[in-house]
Amino acid sequence: MKRTRIFRTGWLVLALVAALAPVYWMLTISLKTEVDQFAIPPKWFSFTPTLQHYTDAFVTRSFGQYLLTSAIVAVVSTFFALLIGTLAAYALTRFRLPWNLDHKLSLWILSTRMFPAIVTAVPLFLMMRDLRLLNTKLALIIVYTAFNLPFVVWMMRGFFAEVPRDLEEAALVDGDSRLGALVRVVLPLVSPGLAATAVFCLIVSWNEFLFALVLTQTDAAMTLPVGIAGRVTQYEIKWGVMSAAGVVAMMPILVFALAMQRYLVRGLSLGAVKG
Amino acid sequence: MPRSRRFSSALNRRELLLPYLLVAPALVVLLALSIYPLLYSITISLQQETPAGVVWTLGHFKRLASDNFFRTAMVHTFVFAAAALTCEFLLGLGLALLLNQQIRGRGLFRASLLVPMMLPTVVVGVVWRLMLNPNFGAINGTLKQVGINTESLTWTASPRLAFLAVIAVDVWQWTPFVFLVLLAGLQAIPQEPYEAALIDGSSRWQTFRHVTLPLLKPAILIVLLLRTMDLLRVFDQIFILTEGGPGFATEMISLYIYRAAFRFFDFGYAAAMSFVLLAVTNVVSVVYIRLLQAKA
Repeated sequence: MKRTRIFRTGWLVLALVAALAPVYWMLTISLKTEVDQFAIPPKWFSFTPTLQHYTDAFVTRSFGQYLLTSAIVAVVSTFFALLIGTLAAYALTRFRLPWNLDHKLSLWILSTRMFPAIVTAVPLFLMMRDLRLLNTKLALIIVYTAFNLPFVVWMMRGFFAEVPRDLEEAALVDGDSRLGALVRVVLPLVSPGLAATAVFCLIVSWNEFLFALVLTQTDAAMTLPVGIAGRVTQYEIKWGVMSAAGVVAMMPILVFALAMQRYLVRGLSLGAVKG
Repeated sequence: MPRSRRFSSALNRRELLLPYLLVAPALVVLLALSIYPLLYSITISLQQETPAGVVWTLGHFKRLASDNFFRTAMVHTFVFAAAALTCEFLLGLGLALLLNQQIRGRGLFRASLLVPMMLPTVVVGVVWRLMLNPNFGAINGTLKQVGINTESLTWTASPRLAFLAVIAVDVWQWTPFVFLVLLAGLQAIPQEPYEAALIDGSSRWQTFRHVTLPLLKPAILIVLLLRTMDLLRVFDQIFILTEGGPGFATEMISLYIYRAAFRFFDFGYAAAMSFVLLAVTNVVSVVYIRLLQAKA
């Protein structure tokens, strides 16, 4: 019994170290002087920290601007995806449409999420070029709204289905309209689910890379991931600056993810696993 | 009387229309940004510019059939997906079984494992470029420290090691996800079948084989489906880590399509290739969904 416990603890510690050490290594590189960065043997703990790379990235270079763009695009697209998606999800859970249409529409909406990104990236680039929207935040906001929409519909469908119908029927009997019942009775009950869905959309938009790479190439429009990628593929790489940008890009995501751990599995499996 | 009846029928009509009004914005957005681009893509994949103007042709698809680079990228993608999926599944299942009991610090463990899978993929690329750098990376540095010769371990500069590296990075990032889904599946299994197995005197392996696995099957299929779809379209980390190199060693299908479209501006050909990718992902997902429904 004792041996199996030691065995198990050993494996778990190994998994923990494997998961966290690489991220910690990036954190140290972002805080090390160039001399310490290239030190052999590697310095994991004993080095003099400096914030020089952070000021270099976010004050001297344009990473501050990329950060702002990422934030604006993520927040605005999340708002629209939630608004449009929640209404659709409500209709698809609460109304029986003829020819089983509610079910078929839900599946169709889900299937649009299954397209590999590169399949839509090529025509979306051409469409945005024709509309003269390349290198604008608007293009990314539009694309991310559509990208997150199927996800919102499926997550919210699950949350609406968990609310008993009797509650809104009582509101309807009391003379409330359908939308009144949705806003005053149902939405407050699903608000934890709504918040989890919102955080999920924020994470997905914040992390998204391929569409942003294709649609934005100017400093004024690119998001943080595209900005980082542009620096990594250059010949002379500023490792400290890269790592500082990487650390800043991951911080809000980690805070969000920890805050909504409970819904994480459900979100990542599009509502298929209730976790 | 007639007036009030007219009123109530108007109300009914509104009630009947309401679901369509609520769904309409979502449908418009998806038609404009998923379906229209797809049709657009079909059109350009069937058109070619010639001196005589734009003509309709199957030229792109014919070229595709004899494009060795395309075939190689396809093979890479499948080998990469199969290898990563196998490792992620076995490791994830192992961890889930280990942790499917009350132990101290489980919450902390779960939270720490979230870190890799929530990272922006671009940051994952950066993290591993730092780890794998042959000169100052933590991996070679640590190996040197314990006395291992790292001269031949150039990682992203050697074709074979680079391929192993991109697999390892995906396993690093996504094993936690497989683990979390399977753990959720394990915890949804009721106690009774286990008690019955105990009474029957089944061995641990028999219990696992005949009780745990069948009851876990839906969770397994869902997580395999989601991972396979993502693996077949892999782009971000590899773009940062190796850009498909050295040479063509880690070129995946999405990268090859990206290059055709945005380096060589051969949009028609890129569109044609993207349909092959779409068809492959569809076939794979249909197979999984069949398996899922067969058992349910």
